[in-house]
Amino acid sequence: MSSLLFSLGVAFGLVLSRSGATDYDYIQKMFLFTDLQLYGIIGVAVAVAAPGLWLLQKRGTTLHGDAIKLTAKPSHRGNIFGGALFGVGWAMTGMCPGPLFVTLGEGKVYAIAALLGALLGTWLFGLVYDRLRGPLRLPTISVGPGAG
Amino acid sequence: MLLLHELSPMHWALAGLAIAAITLVLQYVANRGLGLSSGLEDICSLASNAPYFRRPELQDRWRFPFLFGLFIGGAVSAASAGHGWQVIWSAGMLDDAFHFSRPAKLAWFFAGGICIGFGTRMAGGCTSGHGIYGMARLQPSSIKATLSFMAVGTVMSNMIYRVLCA
Repeated sequence: MSSLLFSLGVAFGLVLSRSGATDYDYIQKMFLFTDLQLYGIIGVAVAVAAPGLWLLQKRGTTLHGDAIKLTAKPSHRGNIFGGALFGVGWAMTGMCPGPLFVTLGEGKVYAIAALLGALLGTWLFGLVYDRLRGPLRLPTISVGPGAG
Repeated sequence: MLLLHELSPMHWALAGLAIAAITLVLQYVANRGLGLSSGLEDICSLASNAPYFRRPELQDRWRFPFLFGLFIGGAVSAASAGHGWQVIWSAGMLDDAFHFSRPAKLAWFFAGGICIGFGTRMAGGCTSGHGIYGMARLQPSSIKATLSFMAVGTVMSNMIYRVLCA
């Protein structure tokens, strides 16, 4: 299974790298609405994945015959507030979590700083999770804010 | 043109189809939902014993080969075009707007990175987990998170490039 996951990662990395998704300028042009390339990519990805996942759910089993497990995404105030903070970081760096790793491979030196920052941010969030649980209505710590 | 070797980007429809195909194969064969921000937690869980990083869902670390693949995919992409793999300092519009020294540029990306890590984990996902996988299933949490990061990113970039550095 590791080699499949690795191969999917390589393919995803190649596509992100060559489509503009890891490119500082393309991210800015998306947010400035001066180039719609990335809206097209996300739009097609969602429009094709949606019926595909629906069909997989209807079929009910994976290739190996296991029950399909669609990851649940809990709803809480962190979706909005965390999303907003991520929006600031994405606009500042032109990177979201996948491209953090792809840009590092591409040789973009500043990706090291962004990745270290993201790991520090994640670590800090883990430390204050219990304190944010009440105000953000987050699930218990054993459940977490949602995988994704 | 991309910053990477000034390549022309691949067609958006082809890129979108490929990402959908990867999402579906990941679900159909590996039975996993696309989502990469949790990979940051997987890495933190190697070094932290805080209860948050000892959650059951972080125990199998299936994202590690995927994340390593992303890194290799980026390296292959850079090595297989133009002048081959090389160190890149250029950040296009950011350079034109701020003329940062190299340490200042690293500080800018580090600060942005903190927002990415703290924010995506608070949101329970990022562009892949919420924006693609969650939106494709019309999850309310994903619709909220996606609208939020797209809206705030839009405001932030417009503040930088149309107000501050106009």
